Amino acid sequence: MIEALVLVTALAGFLGVLLRRNLFLKVLALDVMSTGVIGFFVLLAARSGLRTPILETSPEVVQPVSPFADPVPQAVILTAIVIGFSVQALLLVVITHLARREPTLQVDAMEEPTEG
Amino acid sequence: MNALLIGWLLLPFLLAFSSALRPKLGWWMALICCTATLVVGLALGFAPEAIRIQLVGPFGVSLLLDGFLTPFLVLNALVGAAVLLDRGQSQEDPSFCLLLMALHGSINSALVCHDLISLYVALEVVSLCAFLLIADRHRVQSLWIALRYLLVGSTALLFYLIGCAQIHASHGSFGFEGVRGATAGPLALLLVGLLTKSGLFISGLWLPRTHAEAPAQVSALLSGVVITAGAAPLMRLAQASSAIGSVVLWLGLASTGFAVVFALLEPDVKRLLAWSTVSQVGLVVLSPLTAGLFALGHGIAKACLFLLARHFPSRRLEDWEEMPLPFSVALPMRLAALSIAGCPLLVGYLAKERLQLELGPLPALLVTVFSVGTAAVYTRLWASPIQRVPSGWTWPVSWGVTLLVAGLVLSNGLPLMGHDSLPWLASLKPASLGKSLGVLLAGWAVHRLIQPFRAQLRLPDVERFDDLIGSMGIMGTAIVVMLLW
Repeated sequence: MIEALVLVTALAGFLGVLLRRNLFLKVLALDVMSTGVIGFFVLLAARSGLRTPILETSPEVVQPVSPFADPVPQAVILTAIVIGFSVQALLLVVITHLARREPTLQVDAMEEPTEG
Repeated sequence: MNALLIGWLLLPFLLAFSSALRPKLGWWMALICCTATLVVGLALGFAPEAIRIQLVGPFGVSLLLDGFLTPFLVLNALVGAAVLLDRGQSQEDPSFCLLLMALHGSINSALVCHDLISLYVALEVVSLCAFLLIADRHRVQSLWIALRYLLVGSTALLFYLIGCAQIHASHGSFGFEGVRGATAGPLALLLVGLLTKSGLFISGLWLPRTHAEAPAQVSALLSGVVITAGAAPLMRLAQASSAIGSVVLWLGLASTGFAVVFALLEPDVKRLLAWSTVSQVGLVVLSPLTAGLFALGHGIAKACLFLLARHFPSRRLEDWEEMPLPFSVALPMRLAALSIAGCPLLVGYLAKERLQLELGPLPALLVTVFSVGTAAVYTRLWASPIQRVPSGWTWPVSWGVTLLVAGLVLSNGLPLMGHDSLPWLASLKPASLGKSLGVLLAGWAVHRLIQPFRAQLRLPDVERFDDLIGSMGIMGTAIVVMLLW
């Protein structure tokens, strides 16, 4: 159920990239999509258990019995979050440059083949 | 041995950061990176068996280095070096060499990695470097093209990530082997990402405008090597799963036919070259066995043509008949055009012949038909007469172009390095030679036939931003249907 909802978030983001006319909103929609994908990885990691996957070595601590989460998808998605963040930053920098020439940021206005 | 290889992989990034501190040495550092890649590429061709490297334990990064990579690495080295030589040691934009090294390194990583997540990271770095190379903040159009490129690439790679997650959920690993028994959904998501990065069929609709608008040297890098960062891993996956292999085969053929039509009717020469890239990538992905050689032949020739594009008298092809070209531009341009069209003795011919040996009867027939189309496209580059009055000795137009032309001829020897030189001899049979000359003549005839109608024929504009994003949805659905069928 949650898995479907998370995938719907990603799909909504994709539709946003497709259907929004404003460039800024398109980039925000990309972020929504990326949030959906991150949620999907976190959810997959939590399928085996919810506990943080860190082993306690000191003998005083009684080992709890609840199962571990899968650390691999968590580690992987951390990389993807960082990359996604830098891509977003670059896109927004370019958008601020574009906004000086095209303050409306409408995609249709950008696609006119006029040289600025 | 492994330490040396890892050192080679890290070298471009290390030198890229050093070049930020010493910009004057950047050019030489970049040349060192290209030389190192050339040496590693050729050495892998002689390596008796594949080298597998598993870094940081069983869940870490896995690398696979074997003879499959030789042509791709040689291509990356040659095109990088040619762009550097063409540019010369100019100080006008010191960040260029830095970005070129980062791009070079990330393409190497994308080629050698053998798990889905490392590939994702490498492809994102390739995208970012290419984006920074395309973007020129003084030109609005260039910023828009660069933004479009990054937005489309990132969206495609998010689909790819969902596919990775599903493969991990079902197989417990991110290795390429995991795709073997995967269901249609995850495979389609992975393919949407990789097809967009390699610019195949309608996933490659972003490519013509991007490659045509970028500066000539950047176009040479984009068309020559950047697309192989998506195409080579696609071939690795096709080797791992026959389902992917057959889907990619038909999409490759569709891409070739579709883009040849657009290239035939295109009035602008840089866009013609870019459309031809879409069609040639289609041929690259037809068979994993010939992908490297084909990518090498196409990449060298296309990079050469894009580097020469700055010296073209006009971008409008219809004016070319009245505009003579100097000999030093016309000769390399015609040789590169002949190589892509499949003229014997150049590497393009060898690649095409070997490809036809690998394919079944129907795909081989289609490849021959599309080759006629390709020949007709490149006949258009022969339209310009050669300047009669020699205005001094101008050869070479640039050392970069000379290097690439030498590569076109010398790469013929590359298959001899492998253990199967038999197809090499078979490709020089009189029947094959006659057929390729027939294809060239037929191409010329097709060119003459459609020449009068070219002005009236208009193809729809399929390169608007919505088309690029929408094509991902269409491709995803189409791949699921093909896989289930």
